[in-house]
Amino acid sequence: MTKKYLRMTLNERMQHLNLAVNFTLLVITGFALSYSTAFWVSPITDAPLGMTLRGFLHRLCGVATVFLGGYHLLYLAFTERGRRIAMDMIPGLKDAQDLWETLRNNLFINRPAKALRMPRFNFREKLEYLGLIWGTLVMTVTGFILWFKTEWLMYFPMWTWDVARTIHFYEAVLATLTIIVWHFYSVVFNPDIYPMSWAWITGDLTEHEMEEEHGMELEKIKAEQKGELKGFAQAAVVGGGRVYPGHQQSEEKGPSIRRFYGIVQSFNETIKNWKGT
Amino acid sequence: MKPRREGGKTWTIIGGGVSILLILGWMTGVAWSDNSLCFGCHQDESLKKQDARGKSVSLFVSEPGFKNSIHGKLSCSDCHTHIKDDKHAEGGRKAADKRVDCATCHEKAEKEYLQGLHSKMIMKGTERAANCYDCHGKHNIFPSKNSKSMTNVSNIEKTCNRCHADAVFVKEHALGTAIPQEEFKKSVHGKSGEVTCTSCHGSHNLRSLIDPKSAIFRSNIPQTCGTCHPDITKEFIGSVHGALAARGRTDSPTCTTCHGFHGIKAKLDPDSPVNEKRIALTTCPQCHAAERISKEYKITTSPVKSYYDSFHGLSYRGGDTYSANCASCHGVHDILPSSDPKSMIHKANLQKTCGNCHPGASENFAKGRMHAIASITGEDFGEKVVGWVRVVYIILIVMVIGGLTFYNFTDWLRKTIDRRH
Repeated sequence: MTKKYLRMTLNERMQHLNLAVNFTLLVITGFALSYSTAFWVSPITDAPLGMTLRGFLHRLCGVATVFLGGYHLLYLAFTERGRRIAMDMIPGLKDAQDLWETLRNNLFINRPAKALRMPRFNFREKLEYLGLIWGTLVMTVTGFILWFKTEWLMYFPMWTWDVARTIHFYEAVLATLTIIVWHFYSVVFNPDIYPMSWAWITGDLTEHEMEEEHGMELEKIKAEQKGELKGFAQAAVVGGGRVYPGHQQSEEKGPSIRRFYGIVQSFNETIKNWKGT
Repeated sequence: MKPRREGGKTWTIIGGGVSILLILGWMTGVAWSDNSLCFGCHQDESLKKQDARGKSVSLFVSEPGFKNSIHGKLSCSDCHTHIKDDKHAEGGRKAADKRVDCATCHEKAEKEYLQGLHSKMIMKGTERAANCYDCHGKHNIFPSKNSKSMTNVSNIEKTCNRCHADAVFVKEHALGTAIPQEEFKKSVHGKSGEVTCTSCHGSHNLRSLIDPKSAIFRSNIPQTCGTCHPDITKEFIGSVHGALAARGRTDSPTCTTCHGFHGIKAKLDPDSPVNEKRIALTTCPQCHAAERISKEYKITTSPVKSYYDSFHGLSYRGGDTYSANCASCHGVHDILPSSDPKSMIHKANLQKTCGNCHPGASENFAKGRMHAIASITGEDFGEKVVGWVRVVYIILIVMVIGGLTFYNFTDWLRKTIDRRH
C-alpha cells in the first residue's frame, strides 16, 4: 500500500467544494449577463424570469463566497492547522527561485535539470492562493458597489459605478482564465497529475506526488517521524506531522469560536482516522 | 272658316295623337314600373349575352333579390334610363347601355367618389378600378346598416378583398406584393370586428397614399388614428416626433412607424413591434441606430450602443423585462428632448424618472453621463477613466494569462519530453 499524506482535511475539502460550486455559478450567471445573446445563455434567457433569477442567483453565490471567505479567515486565525497554513503560505525568496529554476529546467537551460525540492505550498500554489484572495477582495468590493448602487450613488459620482462595473467584468475574465489556465493545469492537465489530482476528494497525496511537488515538506515530515514525533504514531501515519491538537484545547466552557472549531476539528479527526488505516 | 276648321281638325289630330301617346306612355309606364316587362325576360337564369370580348355575361336578375333590396320599389328604368325603347324588349338585340347613373339620386356620394382614387383610376383607363356597384352591388343593394349589405362593417373587408386580396390584381396595379388582408385579419383591429378597411382609408373619397388629402397620407395619420385614439394623438402631437412629423419630416416617426399598419398588434403580443421585449431591439433603433438617419440629422447612434453595453441593455437583451428599455426613461408617445422641462429626461425630472424603478434614488443618483461610452479619448472624465481602466485591465489580462499559459506550456513540454525516455 502506498503511503498517503494528508493534504486537505474534510473541512478544507468542504471549503474547496463550496468555493468551486460558488465560483462556477458566479462565472456562469455573471457572463450570462455580459453575453446575454450568446447561444449558451439561451437556457437562462428562454426560461420565464430567467434573467431575474440569474441576477438573484449571482448575488446569492456572491454572498455565499463572501461568507466562505470570512469563514476561511476565521479558520486561518483560530485553528492550529489554519495558522500553520497561513504561515506556510507566505511567499519568500525560495519561491521566486523555484519559479525561476523550474522555468530554466523546462526550457533546457539547466542541463541536467536541477532537482527542486519544494515546500508544503509550492510557488504555483502560493501564486494561485494569493491571486484568489486578491480576486475575492476586488470582486466583493466592486460587487457590493454594483449591488447597492442607490446607496453608493448618494456619495459618489456615476462614473465611479461605471468603473466598478468595468473592474468587476475584467477581474472576472482574469479570474476565470486563471482558474482555467493555471489551476486546471496544476490539478488536471499536468502530465504528472493527469487525469486528475484526487486530493480534493480523498484529501490525500501519494508519496510520489509529495516527492514531485513538495519534496522539502516530505523530507521534513520524514525527519519529524524519525525524531521529535515518536510518541505520535497515529498522527505520523496519516497526518505527516501536521496534526493539530485543536480539539484538546477546546475544553473550555460556554460557546466560543474556539469551541466551535474544536468540534469541527474533532469531526475532521474522526473522518481522517477512518480514512487513514 | 275652312282654314279654321282645318286648323281645328289638325289640332284634334294632334290632341288625339298626344292623348293616345300619353295613354300609351302611361300604360307602358305602368308596365315598366311594376318591372314585370323586364323580369319577363331577365328572370330567366340562362339569359346571356356576349360582351365585346366574346365573354359570356349573365343577364339574370333575381326578382325577389331585387324586391328585397333598398331599391326594390324603384322601377328598372329609374336607373336603366337608356333602355326604355321597345326594340330592346322585342328583339333583345340592342345592346343595353349599361351606364347606370347613381348620381341622379346619390349626388353627394358621387361628388366624393369623383375626388377619390378609384374614380381617378377609372378615368385613367384602369379596368378593374371600383365603380359604385363593385362595392355596393347591383340589384341587391342594402343599406350599410343591414348586415347583408356589402358595405356593412362586417362585410367591407370581404368586399375590398375581392380585388385587394387577389394576388394578380395586386401585382398588376403595383400595390406592392403584400396582401393587406393577411396581415389585417391577424391584427388587433381585424380581430375586434369594429374596425375595417374604410375606418382608416375612407370610403367614397378614398385617396392614394401620396395624396396630401388622404387619410393615410403621412402627416394625416395621427389624425386618422386619433378618431378612435384621441388621447394618444394629443400626446403624440406634442412630442418631438409629432412636431417633426407635422412639419413634414418624412423620417420622423408617426403612429405607423412604430406600430405597423395593417398588422397592428396589441402591445402584449410578442410579435408587436411595441412589445416591451422588442421595443429596444427593433423599434427605436430602426431610426436611432440607422446610419442614414443618424448621418442626415446628426443624431448620434451612441445611445443605442451604450444602452446595449449597459446593465439595463445587457439584461434586456437577455429577455429581462424588468430592466429599463428606451421607453422606461424617455416615455412613449410623449417623448420630448432633454431640453424640454416637461421631458422625463430633463435634469429636473431625472431623479423622479430613475426613482420609478430605483426607489430611494438620491439627487446624486441621476447626475452624470447616462449613455456613456468608455473610451480613453472620450469627452467625459468618467468615460476616460473607464476607458483607461479597461485598457489597463486588458493589458494585465493578456500579460498574466499569456505568461501563465507560456509557463504551463514549457512545463507540459518538458514533462512530455521527459516521458519519452
